[in-house]
Amino acid sequence: MELIEELKLKMIEALNLEDLKPEDIDNDAPLFGDEGIGLDSIDVLELIVLMERNYGIKISDSKTGKHIFSSVRTMADFVAENRTK
Amino acid sequence: MHDRVVITGIGLVTALGNNVTENLHNLTNAVSGIKQMKFLVSEQKQFPVGEVKLSNQEMCEILDLPYDCHISRTSLLGILALKEALKDSGLLDTKGLGLISGTTVAGMDITEQHYPEPLPPNKPPVHDCCSNTNFIADYFGLFDYTSTISTACSSALNSLILAKMLIENGVKYKVVAGGTEALSKFHLNGFRSLMILDENPCRPFDKTRSGLNLGEGAAYLVLESESSAKERGAKILGVLSGTGNACDAFHQTATSLSGEGAFLAMNKAITSAGITPKDVDYISAHGTGTPDNDSSESAAILRLFGDDYPPISSTKSLTGHTTSASGSIEAAFCLLAINNYFIPQNVGYSAPDENCIVPFVGENTEDLKLNNVMCNAFGFGGNDSSIIISRYE
Amino acid sequence: MKERNFLIKHSVKIEPNKVSLDGIDVLLSERYNTFLSDIYHEKRLAYPKFFKMDILCKVGFLATEILLEAENIERFVPRRDRSIIFCNKSSSVSTDLKFTHDILDLDNFYPKPSLFVYTLPNIVTGEIAIRNKYFGETNLFVMNDRDDNVISELVEHALMDEEINSVVGGWIDAESENDYEADLCIFEIKQ
Repeated sequence: MELIEELKLKMIEALNLEDLKPEDIDNDAPLFGDEGIGLDSIDVLELIVLMERNYGIKISDSKTGKHIFSSVRTMADFVAENRTK
Repeated sequence: MHDRVVITGIGLVTALGNNVTENLHNLTNAVSGIKQMKFLVSEQKQFPVGEVKLSNQEMCEILDLPYDCHISRTSLLGILALKEALKDSGLLDTKGLGLISGTTVAGMDITEQHYPEPLPPNKPPVHDCCSNTNFIADYFGLFDYTSTISTACSSALNSLILAKMLIENGVKYKVVAGGTEALSKFHLNGFRSLMILDENPCRPFDKTRSGLNLGEGAAYLVLESESSAKERGAKILGVLSGTGNACDAFHQTATSLSGEGAFLAMNKAITSAGITPKDVDYISAHGTGTPDNDSSESAAILRLFGDDYPPISSTKSLTGHTTSASGSIEAAFCLLAINNYFIPQNVGYSAPDENCIVPFVGENTEDLKLNNVMCNAFGFGGNDSSIIISRYE
Repeated sequence: MKERNFLIKHSVKIEPNKVSLDGIDVLLSERYNTFLSDIYHEKRLAYPKFFKMDILCKVGFLATEILLEAENIERFVPRRDRSIIFCNKSSSVSTDLKFTHDILDLDNFYPKPSLFVYTLPNIVTGEIAIRNKYFGETNLFVMNDRDDNVISELVEHALMDEEINSVVGGWIDAESENDYEADLCIFEIKQ
């Protein structure tokens, strides 16, 4: 499966986005704030756990996290570059 | 005149000491109790904590309790502080008192040792918050009213607020109120998962602040109506003159940028005390040392007090964040400050942050006299509380 | 019975198979496992945060949605004159146990932040305040057993605050995912 699709599925599961399907999440739409899917600060932390658990990437600062998670595409790029598993 | 609610006793156990005298000594000398963990069994040794410097066994010995590894540390800390408070106010033999205790962790320290096995059935229940309060009450056998408040880090301050209501409405004349909380793996890991723990000593309001240190402890205050205190000739340490609780209505754990809940709570406390912001001589801030709390609390303080705010400090860089007990521990510190003519230092501060107030790090002056002091405690769930303690004259 | 300083405007009750409003059953179901989600869909509530909540918050959220819908006044307008006063006995135990499980599995040690934030019983009062923009007092009292007399006293105390005219309050408890109960009312001060 393409990484971007895989990430969408994992996000939906990890963040309990029960009302959303992968195709509802635009690759480039912002994940936080009122546009896009409106994630909050706890979701950032949950995404950090997701990165560590699935791809062996440790992010130690939630501020850096926010930048990486600005869209599904930025997330996928970061995973492709830094994954250890 | 309206019968005021006065404070006639303090009991205190924190990382700064096992009683009021030791706490006062380390508070005035700004000696921090935050160290590497010794009693908490956790893999997360990189996080310094404000532990009470007594093992559970030592506390049992002090309290003449048979050592039993099923008594929660939260209860032991609570009994220790409550005993001192009762002694201080001369009520150690008085029946019919009320006890309001704030806690959230309660017996989690015991539960997590057993999990996933259930707690042994032949032992008294210790896990939940009320069993913890009742265990403490039963040690003394003086209380005919107990209540437990669990609103995270504002629990102990809310206990004081409820106690004031009960006394003002004639439900009880004498109520001991406060909170107790021990460290547990459970909440250490929880705070870690929220990425709000600092591996270095915390630095409230500092530009470089990057999180809090957890602490533990307990504090209880004896509250009673002024007429009851006078009648029995009790020494009066201060007046609980104003209280406020409001909801931030923003997020489960994060604080709103404008600190709406904090603003409303502080404003209510001042209004109910019948004073104005100008009359407040010192603010004991919630000041956890997390980036969000300190900027949000600063915004609320600036909105209410303007640029001409009174001296402010957070004592959490001395004790660690004692979560559900922090409200009464810091209210006790406020009483010590009023009666001993000093303002606690905001230890760890060096770099000003444009989003924060500048806390008190100066020298105490000889002629310092605190008439009205504000004490804040804000909890997850947006549960924000503030009280005013006034000098008794 | 003791004269109280409030009137009960509406009441709602949620149990694992039944919702009643003002004493009348409005929803019955045998689908225990999905009952709360079913209520959410049935009510067409567009609040995706619901799915992130723990059991206590889900029950509290749905109960207050039904209660406030019945009140039929403009909603989501910021107000400071309403408090939330809840009592329960199980605190947040169902979520506490899940989180404890997470942190004790050292081979798979990933404490979930989204779980930890619900390990406090008063988060339910916060969630309701956030949804409805209530800035008044919120409090959660834990008691050994339900005592309606004490609940009434706590509501009365909250109404003594000059700013407060009404309270959403009552009993809400969730021992586990399948064993929960909400019995909440809108209390209004007697004029």
